[in-house]
Amino acid sequence: MHISDQNLLQFLDGEIPASERALVAAHLAECWTCRVRKQEIEDAISDFVRLPKPQLPPAEGPRAQLKAQLAQLGRARPRNWQLAAGICALLIAGLTIGQFWRQSTRVVFAVPDPKLTPGATVLLSSGEVCSASNTKNKAVPVALRQKVFEAYGITHAEPRSYEVDYLITPALGGADDIHNLWPQSYSDTVWNAQVKDDLEDHLRALVCEGKLDLATAQHEIAGNWIEAYKKYFHTDRPQ
Amino acid sequence: MADARAESSLFPAIAAEQADPSALERDVVEHFDRMRARLLRYLLGFGLPAHDCEEIVQETFLALFQHLQRGRSRRNLPAWLFRVAHNLGLRKRMRTRATEEIDDSVIDPAPSPEDQFVTSQTQKRLLAIVGALPEQDRRCLALRAEGLRYREIAEVLDMSLGAVSLALTRSLARISRAAEL
Repeated sequence: MHISDQNLLQFLDGEIPASERALVAAHLAECWTCRVRKQEIEDAISDFVRLPKPQLPPAEGPRAQLKAQLAQLGRARPRNWQLAAGICALLIAGLTIGQFWRQSTRVVFAVPDPKLTPGATVLLSSGEVCSASNTKNKAVPVALRQKVFEAYGITHAEPRSYEVDYLITPALGGADDIHNLWPQSYSDTVWNAQVKDDLEDHLRALVCEGKLDLATAQHEIAGNWIEAYKKYFHTDRPQ
Repeated sequence: MADARAESSLFPAIAAEQADPSALERDVVEHFDRMRARLLRYLLGFGLPAHDCEEIVQETFLALFQHLQRGRSRRNLPAWLFRVAHNLGLRKRMRTRATEEIDDSVIDPAPSPEDQFVTSQTQKRLLAIVGALPEQDRRCLALRAEGLRYREIAEVLDMSLGAVSLALTRSLARISRAAEL
């Protein structure tokens, strides 16, 4: 039995789960065939990296252009507190008006609508959850993603702006079900998908260390994941 | 963490005013110095003319300025920059309906005479293989070569982690086979 090319590449790239790393290393120490294959993959990387690169135009001009544009943006900012306060008032009014426009073009959901996404789980014990070697979320099928967008009334949004995310991650026993999925913005909020991933990893670690029971972890994340983040990371803002 | 403390503010314009504006400009220019070549190389793979790619890079860093001015997250800015540049590149290409061919005026590897033979043989074959890869696979490879982790590539390209891993494996297998010929 040999190591697959995919696992060899993940091993070389430092992307293989820690639990499998030692197994792969031990196998490579024994198996010449896999060592040769590993070398071939490294050679292919080397061949790709050594391919001729495009000659880039000098950076000086674009750099000066950027500095000029930044200075212009900087000058456009208010110079005193009164002006700043006035602009803030206009900004807030503008945001309120703009809210209606944004509804049809770009919508941000930091937390899911509890009616649409109350959370759903599969029956798993904490032992089963913790013994799973692959904790990465599998991709949500396109048809199901589309249903989630429709449920949330996102008709003109750019799908790349969102991750259709599991409310309760499958790594914590979350189900592959529309009631457990919602469109989460990648970059438009402070509380984005990456921050939620950190919470999921942290809660799973607590469950697997026996410091938190699985049902509580699921309940916490399904209730309000932002509040759960603040509670478990002891902070008001993402770290 | 200082970055996290600056995450959000009720009045972003005031928060930005409190910070030193020229410091923010310097910060963005420093990121430009570090990232411009990487972003430009990646964007050239979209088949857009060099001046369009350069414009997108400018737009990307103006977006970064506004992002930081609003007190948004500084977490993993290189991946953020690639994501913004990628989206702008796609939009630009859709608008201009550019071809998939890379602009010849920019791609001028100019190998030394002693390298020319190798370039004309093995490397030409490899370039052809890379050029024939599915677009998404090629982008995975380009982003990995620029140092992005699988998770970051997945976010930039809106793919799953598994799909990134498979795309890289598939592409390198093709390169490996081509090099053996």
